[in-house]
Amino acid sequence: MQKTYVVIPRNCTGCRTCELACSMIKGTEGVFARSRINIYKVGEERYMQMTCLQCVEAACVKVCPTQALVRNELTGAIEVDEDRCVGCGLCEPACPFGHMHFDLDEGVPVKCDLCGGDPTCVKFCPHRALELK
Amino acid sequence: MYIYIDGKKISANDGETILAVANRNNIYIPTLCHHEALDDVGACRVCMVEITHKDWGGWTNLVTACLYPVEEGLVISTSSDAVRRSRGTTLDLLMARCPTSDVIRWMAEENGEISVRYEQVDDGSKCIMCSLCVRACEKMGCNAIGTVGRGHDKKIAPPFFENPENCIGCGACAAICPTGHIEMKDTRTTREIWEKKFDFVACEVCGEPVMTEEYRDYAIANRDLPADYYTTCSACKKKKLASHFDKVGS
Amino acid sequence: MGIANLKKLEARRSALHKAHENVKTQVRVCSGTGCAALGAFEVYDALVEESKKAGLPVQVELAPCGKDKDPIFVSLTGCQGFCQIGPLVHILPEDILYTGVKVSSVKDIVGKTLADGQVIDKLLYKNPEDKKRLKGRADIPFYKGQELVALEGCGSVAADSLDSYIASGGFSSLAKALKMDPDQVIAEVEKSGLRGRGGGGFPTGRKWRSCVNATGDERFVICNGDEGDPGAFMDCCIMEGDPYRVIEGMIICAHAVGSSTGFIYVRHEYPRAVERLSLAVKTCEENGLLGTKILGSDLNFDISVARGGGAFVCGESTALMRSIEGSVGEPRAKYVRSVQRGFRDKPTVLNNVETFACVPSIINEGSDWFASRGTEKSSGTKAFCLVGKVVNTGLIEVPMGTKLRDVVFGIGGGIIDGRPFKAVQTGGPSGGCLGENYLDLPVDFDALAEAGSMMGSGGMIVMDDRTCMVDVAKYFLNFLMEESCGKCVPCREGVYQLHALLDKLSRGEGEPQDLEKIQRLGKEIQVSSLCGLGKSAPNPVLSTLKNFREEYEAHVNDKRCPAGVCRDITTFTIDPDKCTGCLVCKKACPPDAISGEKKQVHVIDQDKCTQCGACRLVCKFDAVVTS
Repeated sequence: MQKTYVVIPRNCTGCRTCELACSMIKGTEGVFARSRINIYKVGEERYMQMTCLQCVEAACVKVCPTQALVRNELTGAIEVDEDRCVGCGLCEPACPFGHMHFDLDEGVPVKCDLCGGDPTCVKFCPHRALELK
Repeated sequence: MYIYIDGKKISANDGETILAVANRNNIYIPTLCHHEALDDVGACRVCMVEITHKDWGGWTNLVTACLYPVEEGLVISTSSDAVRRSRGTTLDLLMARCPTSDVIRWMAEENGEISVRYEQVDDGSKCIMCSLCVRACEKMGCNAIGTVGRGHDKKIAPPFFENPENCIGCGACAAICPTGHIEMKDTRTTREIWEKKFDFVACEVCGEPVMTEEYRDYAIANRDLPADYYTTCSACKKKKLASHFDKVGS
Repeated sequence: MGIANLKKLEARRSALHKAHENVKTQVRVCSGTGCAALGAFEVYDALVEESKKAGLPVQVELAPCGKDKDPIFVSLTGCQGFCQIGPLVHILPEDILYTGVKVSSVKDIVGKTLADGQVIDKLLYKNPEDKKRLKGRADIPFYKGQELVALEGCGSVAADSLDSYIASGGFSSLAKALKMDPDQVIAEVEKSGLRGRGGGGFPTGRKWRSCVNATGDERFVICNGDEGDPGAFMDCCIMEGDPYRVIEGMIICAHAVGSSTGFIYVRHEYPRAVERLSLAVKTCEENGLLGTKILGSDLNFDISVARGGGAFVCGESTALMRSIEGSVGEPRAKYVRSVQRGFRDKPTVLNNVETFACVPSIINEGSDWFASRGTEKSSGTKAFCLVGKVVNTGLIEVPMGTKLRDVVFGIGGGIIDGRPFKAVQTGGPSGGCLGENYLDLPVDFDALAEAGSMMGSGGMIVMDDRTCMVDVAKYFLNFLMEESCGKCVPCREGVYQLHALLDKLSRGEGEPQDLEKIQRLGKEIQVSSLCGLGKSAPNPVLSTLKNFREEYEAHVNDKRCPAGVCRDITTFTIDPDKCTGCLVCKKACPPDAISGEKKQVHVIDQDKCTQCGACRLVCKFDAVVTS
């Protein structure tokens, strides 16, 4: 059965290990990439982990003119098919939650793909604030 | 059906192109004007492969992999001498046209040493006329740019070389350009491309750019999403959602 | 006065025949481009007016029930072929061909010939060999050895008259075809061995058959009238001179392949062809020869005339189709043929004007009749435009397999001023140049291809010894460079580089390795380009390099242009032994570089000389020499 990516904000200490892990695993040749997960401080000692919700009816998928955003049926993640992307960048403003980022230098969108079903952030979270259940 | 690429027997489907089969099987064929989401035109001639068939009596032919439909028993070579010569000539010619393009130089080096040098036509342009930008613009439904003129002086340009009415400043042309020829200048509030200036929609929270005003209007008119999606930048959307989640949670 | 069915067509024809039998004298004024430029229309108007003034029973239309007795029928025909000495007026049945007719000579023609039956000697063709005047087509060497099939009506029927076409047997072939099974029609065309006259030489019957076999709910028939080769005007002449024949050919094709929509693509630079074709289409529609239930059969067929913008590449079939569709005229790869996926991705038969013009004769006279002409693999006849340094230039049609020598020296009458023959360029800009050793080559598709040239659409440019082959190759490459659509790299960049290399040679800056470079680049362009134009673009340079290599070597090694054409490496001097001091060159010299008094040897001031070659051209004593 497909597992679900779960965030448990009350366990989050805002240590940002997840952001670091994401940056490293998504980077190439020692260059850090933009993290697909972000930690927001929402109050005194309270943090919220923000990453793509992999919406069932995703706005990004809907606006893409070339069907370059495709759901991976195995992991449930919406993945970017860079070969099909023409770089129009409409997916970024279309996401109502701000989880899509369009990289102007590379000309492709950047989003969480659940690391192909085995999210690195989950593995590195020291406080079990991110889990795959 | 089965075809043979560089000696490997590979299954292929009717109607597929050689390039599609090769890509699926991780066999590298260089390309410049091919894009998965756009119609192939066979303009760059870099994906040239040599084909033959056991029934052809030894006759071979050079064809573009991006367009040639596979047929049962086709024997394909992706790097025979004839292929390298043809590809090499094409890249040599492009090197003469766009000496400053790294992509072309890399590709030429990869194909083998640069054997013939032609008179350089250095007009500072990196455009190789692959027409990916034109096709991307067409795909967006804008048709703001096209090819102008013919022969060696052919150019990619908006109609009458004037600031293109249909351009919405999405930047797909610049993003898809394989040689980085198309310039797009962004400031915090404006974008300039094809000599047309656009004002950005400023995020209603922080003032950061969201998208060009024309692009927003295009999105509202052509995509079935609420207009207020396009008023806020990603960071502010995220921040807002984070505090909303927090409130709901507590 | 529609022609709703076969019966009505025949009734109309026999009425017209009767009218024709009554005609005592036919006066055919050529209105081909060359003659028109020299004032053929004015001559025609004057002829009609003058005859009326003289009280002659002149008719300008072939009226089935004319009231005049022994009328004179004056008509404007298409090109009569001998463009060099136009305007031509051909008078029948006496077969008198008046050449170089001016408005001022009309009075004589009317007064003497039409009224009195006299032949005006000074208007007759003068044979340059023995200065004898020759009366008619039957006597003139230019017309001997020719056999007109595609050009049959061109120069004989009145170009814009449906009646004239019908009277000459027009649409009888369509009538015959409509009684045949589509399959029989195709079989007949197949058996005739007709090959595409546009240049490719693909068997027409096989093309039609594959279109029938292709799957699709709709089929198109397109006629390619986008003739862009410099020096070629065959299709232009057929479209202007015999538009109904082209239309008839297309309707027969539509019947054979089951099409209901056709297009004729004509370049806009042929305004008269556009005008006459449009008129012909309209007249056919009005008379029920186009539209629904043609001649009472089940065939529905419409033709639209599409105008091209003048891009050479739009003569390439796939680019032409894109152009009609309204897109940029760029070719596409033909891995899937256009008989399967052509215009609007539907099965499409695209044939050249001349090909369609051959079809009515094939159906009428039978495939054996056609196949008995020409050679085994290239049957029939072929129209050529004979131009260049040849005595008789014009439009000709000869059986396939005629030797080049017979064309150049027989019909063409040899080289101007008796200079030595150097080469003949066939096949338009992307054809090749064949030297003296190819003079006995039979002109057909395969022999020309084997010799490194091609049939092309049928241009034939004759060159004498004062033609530099490097310069010729450069000229054609310059044309192709400008006319390349610019889509694919080898053609766009490669032809540019080839041209740059040739330019280097002609400036005397060539290096020994350049010839090798030209050869190699040319070969790669041939294999790598996308369309036929790109694949054949290096032909002019490759064929001249093969056949005239020593001339290239002279440019590279000795920095010398043997023909004295390439300005940068040529010096003009006057041979004192030959110069008679006639002052002609002095007067002709644009920069006034020549000095000398009458009856004294002239001298060229090398500082002032621009190497334009004007002096050499005018010197009657060959005293101007180049080095």
